Amino acid sequence: MSIYILPLLFIFILVFCLYKKVNCYDTFVIGAKKSIPLVVDIFPYITAIMIAVSLLRYSGITNILAEFVSPVFNLLGIPSELIELVLLRPFTGSGSYAILNNVLLQYGADSYISRCACVILGCSETIFYVTTIYISQTKIKRLLYAIPVALFCSIFGSVLACALCKIL
Amino acid sequence: MVLASICFLFWTDPSSVLSQMLGASKEALTLSIELCAVYAVWLGILELVEASGLNRKLAKILSPVIRKIFNVKDSETESLIAMNISANMLGLGNASTPLAIKAIKKMDTGSEVASFPIIMLIVINATSIQLLPTTVISLRQAAGSLSPADIILPTLITTFCTTLLAIFLVKLLSKKFCGGKK
Repeated sequence: MSIYILPLLFIFILVFCLYKKVNCYDTFVIGAKKSIPLVVDIFPYITAIMIAVSLLRYSGITNILAEFVSPVFNLLGIPSELIELVLLRPFTGSGSYAILNNVLLQYGADSYISRCACVILGCSETIFYVTTIYISQTKIKRLLYAIPVALFCSIFGSVLACALCKIL
Repeated sequence: MVLASICFLFWTDPSSVLSQMLGASKEALTLSIELCAVYAVWLGILELVEASGLNRKLAKILSPVIRKIFNVKDSETESLIAMNISANMLGLGNASTPLAIKAIKKMDTGSEVASFPIIMLIVINATSIQLLPTTVISLRQAAGSLSPADIILPTLITTFCTTLLAIFLVKLLSKKFCGGKK
């Protein structure tokens, strides 16, 4: 059923645009044009994260870290291959796409691990980045329970994601 | 992190440091080009969504729910929040951030401690409420998946649950914190 979702969505949007008399071609081009500056903006971050992850992996530090964390991850049902993704996700958006891409290529796009990674990424946010930007124009310094709640929910989401990927 | 890895490699395999870094950078470039194609498609579609007013339609549908969750009386703030959340649901990240900043400025009391609606807005945004994980699906497609869209259902369920949990926890904790102060 899921293969129909995207085509249906596109049809719906285009029909709605026709109904609203939006100039589809010109509008699409305006949006598509934004992709180049966006990628130019995020390329340095992706590179930095990729270099860091690659060095961490090659040096074997990830393995050492994985050994420490994996009992906790096992307990929660999260595959230990996803440690980097889960730990870095709250800090970097483009970086976590880089990590996701590594996972997809390494384990195959349709493997259980890759599907978990996709769902985890799809249902989480760069918590620290969002928070910093949102309060940047106010005097707020104390967020009370905001960050702990967000982090807790995010971990809960990862656990649920891995559990759901097993049955769905 | 990087320093530790390089120091580590200094002892084990010094010749590999630069080649690893260059290899990673090359991968980053490939990924960026791939992402550029992905974003071109989705940003184009999202521009259509914005131009046709679909996101404002969604915001209208959401606003009664938002009134219940946030307890804001000011209708302008309420519509800002509704627009922010609907933009996020559709994956219009660039459109949603300025809306959220505006809404938070409206709700700002000038104090250093965040108030209940501000915390609620931040937490809801930070737990992600995206309905369609566009970039994830596209990357999966590019990596050769046979059915890249089959992660939509688990993602939706998870997002729904985490957001509900977040709203519940914020409501619960706000009562506790206020109760302690007064």
